[in-house]
Amino acid sequence: MTTTTSDVPVATRGAEGDPPEVARLGSAKGGWFRRTGLSHLVGILALAFSIFPILFVVSASFNPTGTLSSSTLIPREFSLANYQDLFSGSFPRWFVNSLIIASISAAVSMLISACAAFAFSRFRFMGRRPGLIGLLLVQMFPQFLAIVALYLMFANITELWPSIGFNTAAGLIILYLGGALGVNTWLMKGFFDTIPKDLDESAKIDGATHFQVFFGIILPLVAPILAITGLLGFIGAINEFLIASVFLRQDDSKTAAVGLYGLIADPLTKNAQFGEFAAGAVVLAIPTVALFMYLQRYIVGGLTAGAVKG
Amino acid sequence: MAEVVLDKVNKQYDNGFHAVKDLSIDIADGEFIVLVGPSGCGKSTALRMIAGLEDISTGTLTIGDRVVNTLSSRERDIAMVFQSYALYPHMSVADNIAYGLKIRRMDKAAIQERVKRAADMLELGPLLDRKPKQLSGGQRQRVAMGRAIVREPQVFLMDEPLSNLDAKLRVQMRAEIAQVQRDLNVTTIYVTHDQTEAMTMGDRVALMKAGVLQQLGAPQHLYDHPDNIFVAGFIGSPPMNMAVGRVGRSGSGVTVGFGGATVQVPESVASERPALASYDGRDVAVGVRSEDMEDASLSRDPGRPRLTTTVSLTEALGSEIVVHFPVEAARVVTEDTRALEEDAGTEDVPATHAGNTWVASFSPRSRVRPGDTVEIAIDPERLHFFDTETGLAIRD
Repeated sequence: MTTTTSDVPVATRGAEGDPPEVARLGSAKGGWFRRTGLSHLVGILALAFSIFPILFVVSASFNPTGTLSSSTLIPREFSLANYQDLFSGSFPRWFVNSLIIASISAAVSMLISACAAFAFSRFRFMGRRPGLIGLLLVQMFPQFLAIVALYLMFANITELWPSIGFNTAAGLIILYLGGALGVNTWLMKGFFDTIPKDLDESAKIDGATHFQVFFGIILPLVAPILAITGLLGFIGAINEFLIASVFLRQDDSKTAAVGLYGLIADPLTKNAQFGEFAAGAVVLAIPTVALFMYLQRYIVGGLTAGAVKG
Repeated sequence: MAEVVLDKVNKQYDNGFHAVKDLSIDIADGEFIVLVGPSGCGKSTALRMIAGLEDISTGTLTIGDRVVNTLSSRERDIAMVFQSYALYPHMSVADNIAYGLKIRRMDKAAIQERVKRAADMLELGPLLDRKPKQLSGGQRQRVAMGRAIVREPQVFLMDEPLSNLDAKLRVQMRAEIAQVQRDLNVTTIYVTHDQTEAMTMGDRVALMKAGVLQQLGAPQHLYDHPDNIFVAGFIGSPPMNMAVGRVGRSGSGVTVGFGGATVQVPESVASERPALASYDGRDVAVGVRSEDMEDASLSRDPGRPRLTTTVSLTEALGSEIVVHFPVEAARVVTEDTRALEEDAGTEDVPATHAGNTWVASFSPRSRVRPGDTVEIAIDPERLHFFDTETGLAIRD
């Protein structure tokens, strides 16, 4: 039912026999366009703007003749040839690498950021403020500024401990963890601050240790921010290209982002492999969308309702 | 069950703020003690120190036979009810109540048994599966109580547990908490800023101001024998009426003049306060409780001293009529009265505007109306005298 149609009766008064008085909502000031149409128009424009590249890539992935120059929004032919090519090459390996790196770095960064945020939010200790400001400052610099230093560092690490050096998932995960810590900790600290401290104190008096307060009381209540940081971490890691391309040189250690770029990096073949690239991009989007759909249920407000008298 | 002893307990924060000064209270086993005072008087800080949520700067705190200064909350065997209730929102009522027991790895059957007993006691049975957000304020309050009693701790600590309830429910819960405490006979320390709760619930009341204990004693004792102007003004509703009076002599007796009347202080009152005679010719603060004044036309004792005044306002409460009237005597201004005004939020009202208005409780048979000129009989046996400089009660 719409309430914008101005002749819908919303309430009637008066005794039987009396002509019912009709109260109207949305008195017709300005036309339909000003009240509804304008916002729809803006929405449609925004939608078109964001959906066009997606449609283009999806269309190119199903287009067997799909070269960069011949791709169109509506494919002229439909086939799964690109997907077959993609999965017969190195892509499955890259895809698995991407999933491993993104999942582990998202999960672990979520956990350590939550620990850090809990400490910053709940405890008063020496260096708390400098620590917080330090985190803020450090994360202002893009990670790739440090890429030379990181490269040299990992060159040494690769010699000493090859298992966390170049061309390993572990090495890259460690890098991503450091990179995400600052933002996530700040995000989470802000959310933790909204959880009443009375809850911690109450649990403490009930006999809980810090560990029990953290896992038993606080973490369930900060599920929304955990979901968000987890999701952001996952998206960031699975889409990250620059650092991964420097650190992962061997073909079987590459992530999907690095590997797919390789498909179109060669100026001689890039046009021909564009369809395969597009198919890879579509496949790579699936886990992100799935994760988002799954985590959506946790991104809700009001988890602390009823905790303290509001 | 245990006694709690605070010995010269101090709390001084890093920024220098001295929240609690030399607080010494011996709380007997099973006693219900109320810490009361205006906001910021240090009563909550004192409670939080007993709970182990704040460090004790100096002094010793003993619960049972253990000095617990450095023990954590969990080792002190106490339970606390928070002003905000602080229920765990993601747990059902049953889990909320059982949480403290689960943490202590108690046997499952025993937990169920205890939760059931606590729930029965507080009539929470049908609500055990609900989440806190599905409960009303009064029900949440009960759950918070349940969480405390299920642990069977040595001491209950309650931090203004009723202040979030509406007036009617507050009266009901007040009685319920007092009842539960009597049934369980657990030492209880109850913090409130509401003098009614202090009067009605506690075996003893400790009144604090600016971190300092003002008076400790049975509620009626504080009401009848306040140690200073602050106690007199804080305990009792309406607060004790005060005016500056002048002490004089008549024969062997002592008189005090205020509001255009000269009151002969009865022999019994004067002999209880030998120091009063030494104030001859000087000002004192005279205090009269509202119920110690009566419409003179209804007074059975014609010899009582009288004040003649004009009624400015009456409030008929059914059981009594509250009469406001001006008194031609200077207001008592001490540090205590300023603290009281701050508490009442009237410190900005200019003195000229407020004048010195007294409040008397008349019998409902009185027919006075605003604007009437009325004679008010004062019970001279029930006068209170305080030093205008120190604010202390004049005794000996």
